[in-house]
Amino acid sequence: MIAALGLLIGIVLGLIFQPDVPLGLEPYLPIAVVAALDAVFGGLRAYLDGIFDDKVFVVSFLSNVVIAAAIVYLGDQLGVGGQLSTGVIVVLGIRIFSNVAAIRRHLFHA
Amino acid sequence: MAETRERPLPDHVTTPLLTLITQQALEEDYRSVAQRRSLRPGAEPPRTRMLAVAALLVLGLLVGVAAVQNSRNAAIQDAGRATLVAQIEQSREELSDTQAAIADTTRENRGLTDRLTGLTTTREATTSRLRRLQVATGYLPVTGPGVRIVVEDKPDAGERELVQDADLAKLVDGLWEAGAEAIAINDQRLNPLGAIRNVGTAVHVNTVPLSPPYTVRAVGDTRTLQADLAATTHGAEFFALAQQIGWGVDVDNVGELSLPAARQRRLQHVETGTAEQRSGGGVEEGQP
Repeated sequence: MIAALGLLIGIVLGLIFQPDVPLGLEPYLPIAVVAALDAVFGGLRAYLDGIFDDKVFVVSFLSNVVIAAAIVYLGDQLGVGGQLSTGVIVVLGIRIFSNVAAIRRHLFHA
Repeated sequence: MAETRERPLPDHVTTPLLTLITQQALEEDYRSVAQRRSLRPGAEPPRTRMLAVAALLVLGLLVGVAAVQNSRNAAIQDAGRATLVAQIEQSREELSDTQAAIADTTRENRGLTDRLTGLTTTREATTSRLRRLQVATGYLPVTGPGVRIVVEDKPDAGERELVQDADLAKLVDGLWEAGAEAIAINDQRLNPLGAIRNVGTAVHVNTVPLSPPYTVRAVGDTRTLQADLAATTHGAEFFALAQQIGWGVDVDNVGELSLPAARQRRLQHVETGTAEQRSGGGVEEGQP
């Protein structure tokens, strides 16, 4: 409950203050969001499995975001930013789908 | 498979990549931490979840910022697209304007070409007319086939039996009538302002006195000029008179005659240009 509240407050804060993202960081924001989503769904699945650990969650969250952004940054420097971000999105997307599938099995037993 | 070998390879080597990703969708750490915790039951108290909440807050912030950014960019892109569409439409209008201008110019060009053709035709006609006039008025020296007629006075002729201006004028009139294009008498080219006149007993052409024999040279069609001359009234009269009085008349066809230009007389009363042109220039008509 508190976690959902935190998420909501974060969204609202972002919408209200509308902080300006530096132009250089702008391309990495969507990738960071997807990576963070992956960490969140992983955490949710772990929570439903009863093995949630917030330290693991925060570390995976931060490392996911940083690594995803770093890969895309590296790709941009090499001139293959588009392809690398596609690769990152594919991997993270597969992980998100399988995690969500596990969560679905937990919630609906189906 | 790997299991059949003597030294089986580890799972993470043999598993296909996609399967590996799917299998490891959940962070391994959750399991290992949970395993460790279950080995030491009750050792750790349930933690507060403030860190997790903070992470979620960060996620929310990220999502919110990304959404705002995206909508902003969308606005910018829309504006860009609208500008491009406007530019395209403007360019299309300019293009159609230009095409209309091209069509106009082409039509105008065609009209001008037609006019040019007409003017060229007129110029050619005028040039040939000018040439005919220059030949007829003796403005130009001419060369061409023609007839040479030598008229000689009768030996021991009386004053009344000499060749006179009127006789030569008759012959010349007959030649003009027979189709001669240019005529000269003893190298004096005949022109509209010249005259054949008697002063005393000598014949003057263009005010230059001539002495017999009189050589009349006429440029024209050698096939018809002689016959036509004899057929004209003036020609017939001249030949009849010559026979009657006994002048020596010698008519020859000549392949190439060279006639000099007439002596140019200064025009005293004539000015060039039509009446309209002159009235536009406001020039007073010259009084003698």
